[in-house]
Amino acid sequence: MMLEPGIEEKTFYLNLGPQHPSTHGVLRILLEMDGEFIANSEPVIGYGHRAHEKMAELRTYQQYLPNLGRVDYLHALAYNHGYCLAVERLAGIEVPERAEFIRVITSELNRIASHLLWFGAYLLDLGAFTPFLYCFDDRENVVDILDRVTGSRLTYCYFRFGGVRDDIDDEFIAGCRAFITRLRSRWQDYDDLVTKNVIFINRTRDVGIITPEQALKYGVTGPCLRGSGIPYDIRRSEPYSVYPLFDFEIPIGERGDIMDRYVVRLCEMEQSLRIIEQALDKLPNGPIMAEKVPKRLKPAEGEVYAAVESGRGEFGTYIVSKGDTKPYRIKLRVPSFSNLSIISELIKDTLVADMVAILGSFDLVIPEVDR
Amino acid sequence: MLAEQIRNSLEKLELEKVAAGDYGRTGYHVEVAAKPEQITAIAQVMLEHQCFLESLTALDLIESFEVVYHFACFRELCRTVVHVPLIKGKTAPTISSVYPAADWFEREVFDLFGIVFAGHPNLKRLILPEDADFHPLLKDFVASS
Amino acid sequence: MEKKTGEPLIHFGVLDEVLDLCRANSLWPLTFGLACCAIEMMAAGAARFDLDRFGAGVFRPSPRQSDVMIVAGTISRKMAPAIVRLYDQMAAPKWVIAMGNCAISGGPFYYEGQYAIVPGADLIIPVDVYVPGCPPRPEGLIEGILQLEEKITHRGRLRKFR
Repeated sequence: MMLEPGIEEKTFYLNLGPQHPSTHGVLRILLEMDGEFIANSEPVIGYGHRAHEKMAELRTYQQYLPNLGRVDYLHALAYNHGYCLAVERLAGIEVPERAEFIRVITSELNRIASHLLWFGAYLLDLGAFTPFLYCFDDRENVVDILDRVTGSRLTYCYFRFGGVRDDIDDEFIAGCRAFITRLRSRWQDYDDLVTKNVIFINRTRDVGIITPEQALKYGVTGPCLRGSGIPYDIRRSEPYSVYPLFDFEIPIGERGDIMDRYVVRLCEMEQSLRIIEQALDKLPNGPIMAEKVPKRLKPAEGEVYAAVESGRGEFGTYIVSKGDTKPYRIKLRVPSFSNLSIISELIKDTLVADMVAILGSFDLVIPEVDR
Repeated sequence: MLAEQIRNSLEKLELEKVAAGDYGRTGYHVEVAAKPEQITAIAQVMLEHQCFLESLTALDLIESFEVVYHFACFRELCRTVVHVPLIKGKTAPTISSVYPAADWFEREVFDLFGIVFAGHPNLKRLILPEDADFHPLLKDFVASS
Repeated sequence: MEKKTGEPLIHFGVLDEVLDLCRANSLWPLTFGLACCAIEMMAAGAARFDLDRFGAGVFRPSPRQSDVMIVAGTISRKMAPAIVRLYDQMAAPKWVIAMGNCAISGGPFYYEGQYAIVPGADLIIPVDVYVPGCPPRPEGLIEGILQLEEKITHRGRLRKFR
């Protein structure tokens, strides 16, 4: 459209994505700009849609297990856990205690890996390159430990119905303990490098505030919710596995801005270390698989909903069974989907640069949003 | 506690079924079945009890649809499930005016099942490309390459 | 539709060999993650694996500045036109690495009745190197980049600086 001289167009459109370094994958946001400020926005998702839910209807319960590691690849073991929990509830399978401990240890290690990656990638969004190298250095250590026991670096498929695939050994335990010491010695570096950095503080303090009312209406969960001061963590609110046996805190923020979400995640890593430490101390002996788990799993007719706390929030699995070897329907309630839906409201009337900071603070995994 | 309060409030709406759930087996504290036109009132009650919309999905039961709503609460462990049977071709009212979270969930269900939510402000495809002409999660869906 | 190719428009005879050697040792990949493999791509660029050792660590966010596109992840049908456009926007000579099983053939997501993905990057753009794995380890990606360097220089790895 040609503009006539003397006629000003007030707003213009800016297309962000689907290939953009700050969208962490393939998110696209249409922005209606008023100068440097965002007047309106519309997220367009679906660029990472892989039909996980349709696949569930065509596979048996066991065959669907590898998919879960690929829905949210950053915290794959929580997804393993959530799905196994739902199927175990549906089929009435009891899990031995040692297996539950191993599940908790590996899942918490994975949570640390996920938060570390967010830490590095988010600061990359804000223009700081060094923390990215620091956190990947630490993350490689976690990945090595998990690689030893699960056999892969990223898309784990380690949990089975009724237990876990492999037992952990002394070398794994020694590796975990060494890692705990190492990561604890790094907190000071992280604080000095980032948390006390005045540029970082100015970019994150009082930006992108989520109020508790907004969080309730949009169903925001995970560190984004806890940053707003609501101590809702499935590990504590709806205890599963052996989490009630451990002593850990739920870190919360006060204002609900980006800084609070950042601090919550950092504190959560320390709490995860505490859980791992206690679990290693209390680790019981015994079997790692339940006896008599049928090869052809055929749960009775019914439905079940089970939730776990993933690195991004509440992951729920809703399974409807019609008494067949294949599930009738599986709905994956993914945290990033609900968390992202609030974005239009949050970035209204902010600067583009702040939008990037807000978007990154959600810790989005786009293939998880799209499933 | 909260489950009881929710049950008491919902019973006033004269729904088809309001019952206590078996948490250990299904993960629900309150199970509800309702007609489509009652869902907006139910959502209002859930919001008054400080519950958030956990998920909203649908089932294709061949002869009919069933829309399934899950609500949970930040303060206390209490999950409510609402089953809403829907005749194929009929519309369900939107709850996006009560819960903005439902906006995307309803668009997703529209996209994957073709269920129309009456009164939705922006009902268009969410996940599939806008020019797609199929609803993949229907049981009789067969992909053509 | 005309067949896509990553060949440069102008050739310089003998000078091309020198240019190819330069190109092979400073590949600038496009920052472009689609799914799980993108994390391994990041890991390959980060502290331990350090792609910079092979001259390929300068990830550019703009297709205009990059020589090699690493297709890291599942290509959904909605995303496919965007990938073709990104490829078109890159300046020749340009190369493509299909990283991971999804980009090679659809991987674990390909089955009868799949409606959402494009099974293989080579169906929409020409691919030079395939790196299998789900996801491939960073070492795998490094090997892929070294293979690409061999392809560009038409020489074996050890005799490159003969």
